[in-house]
Amino acid sequence: MQQFWTTLLGGLTLGAVYAAFALALCLIWRSTRVVNFAQAPMAMVTTYVGLEVIDSTGSYWLGFVVALAAGLVLGAVVERGLVRFVEGKSDLNVVILTLGLFVVLHSLAAIVFGQDYKSFPAPFSLQGLHVGGHNLAITGFGVFTLIAVAVVFVLLVALFRFTDLGLKMRASAFSPEVARLLGVRVGKMLTLGWALAAVVGSLAGLLVAGGSLVFPQFMDSVVVYGFVAAVLGGLDSPAGSVVGGLVLGLALSFVSGYAASDLVPITALGILVLVLLVRPGGLFSHVAERRV
Amino acid sequence: MLAVEDLVTRYGAVTALGGVSLEAPEGQVTAVLGANGAGKTTLLRTISGLVRPNEGRVVLDGKDLSRTPPEEMTALGIAHVPEGRGVIAELTVAENLRLGGLHRRAGADPVDLDRVFGLFPVLEERRNATAHVLSGGERQMLVIGRALMAAPRILLLDEPSLGLAPRVVAQILALLRSLVETEGLTVLLVEQNAASALSIADRGVVLNLGSVVASDQAEKLAADEKLRHAYLGF
Repeated sequence: MQQFWTTLLGGLTLGAVYAAFALALCLIWRSTRVVNFAQAPMAMVTTYVGLEVIDSTGSYWLGFVVALAAGLVLGAVVERGLVRFVEGKSDLNVVILTLGLFVVLHSLAAIVFGQDYKSFPAPFSLQGLHVGGHNLAITGFGVFTLIAVAVVFVLLVALFRFTDLGLKMRASAFSPEVARLLGVRVGKMLTLGWALAAVVGSLAGLLVAGGSLVFPQFMDSVVVYGFVAAVLGGLDSPAGSVVGGLVLGLALSFVSGYAASDLVPITALGILVLVLLVRPGGLFSHVAERRV
Repeated sequence: MLAVEDLVTRYGAVTALGGVSLEAPEGQVTAVLGANGAGKTTLLRTISGLVRPNEGRVVLDGKDLSRTPPEEMTALGIAHVPEGRGVIAELTVAENLRLGGLHRRAGADPVDLDRVFGLFPVLEERRNATAHVLSGGERQMLVIGRALMAAPRILLLDEPSLGLAPRVVAQILALLRSLVETEGLTVLLVEQNAASALSIADRGVVLNLGSVVASDQAEKLAADEKLRHAYLGF
């Protein structure tokens, strides 16, 4: 029984990180129809920025806020400075661009921050919580991870569903020309979409790094699973991203806990293939035909 | 008053508009007629700034709009109503309408959703449905209603009759006419369906291959048999 709970809670925490990563992918997909392959290295860079602040000020929370703010700026800069030039061109151009950015950011980080492993502090205990004499298998930082992802998800849903800004962002994504005719500054909305996505990506970076080691490739382990989570949920749906992340986290955790940890990558691949075969649009896709 | 002066618009080597001049007098319906490829849609797209003219000007009350970006048109009181497929199919009816009111004419009071629902009761029944389930006629009502949410003074309408049943066309055009009479709206109506358009228009302009070939009062154009046969097909 103890193992079951350990596996379950570990899977949820892991899943929450995948969910955050998938949410960031989903945000960019929704606002610009681009899959951002550079999501992980962008998060890696902002995490390094956060670490620098933590190291020099000693305050985790200041570093946390600075890392998120750095994400906002980096996302906007990448859209304005790079993606803007290939928008409206062939889909492949932007794929190549983000893949190129992936490589460039990795190398830049290695040059600027070094190849060494650096430890990243956690704001909460990394020991299992004690409740009424029982040892729970979830750490304080794990609880923080779950809450942070839930808060981000709720904020994003509220933004898209209830605010004028969210409405304009959706309109810009679905139908840029019509949105322009209605007075929406589509370019600004796209920049904002990238900026917000990079903030969520930064959060994923901070959650992966917390209490662990940071090095230029530290996000790479999350990339693959984050993508699988996003595809699992359907790239278009924020709720799908979160559920996809959690389902994947649980599945991988149970495979690793009850079978063998060597089977984790192949399980992820199996899930990906299965989803693409059965529901290519993802679990949360609703078939909305679009006449052009 | 909206006017275009010697407008030339080219797509690469193709000249879509070859020196078009026309006026849309205030409080009137001006119909722009012509077959496919006459340059009608390009004319509207050039006026609203989606396409830049190579030569000539678009003038609103003496102000040159040729360099004004399309995003600023609604604030100036110009609403471009694209063809019926210009609904944003992924948004609900109410969201489409709300979006239309976000950047309304500078100084205008917000337009109540209920006003649009009063004009198009069928939209109220469907207010929470996504727009992709709407019929062609309902989509056309939605794009017009959405444009009205911006409290425009000038409506640019692109082929509102396209693909619609004659009864629905008559209903929509009659409603436009009544908006012109009650609110002093100015309408520039681009149509292939010349008979319907002339029935509600004050003036008509006939375009052929990017040039104005006739411009007169609507009744006179409708009565000119030669012109009708040559360009209007009725």
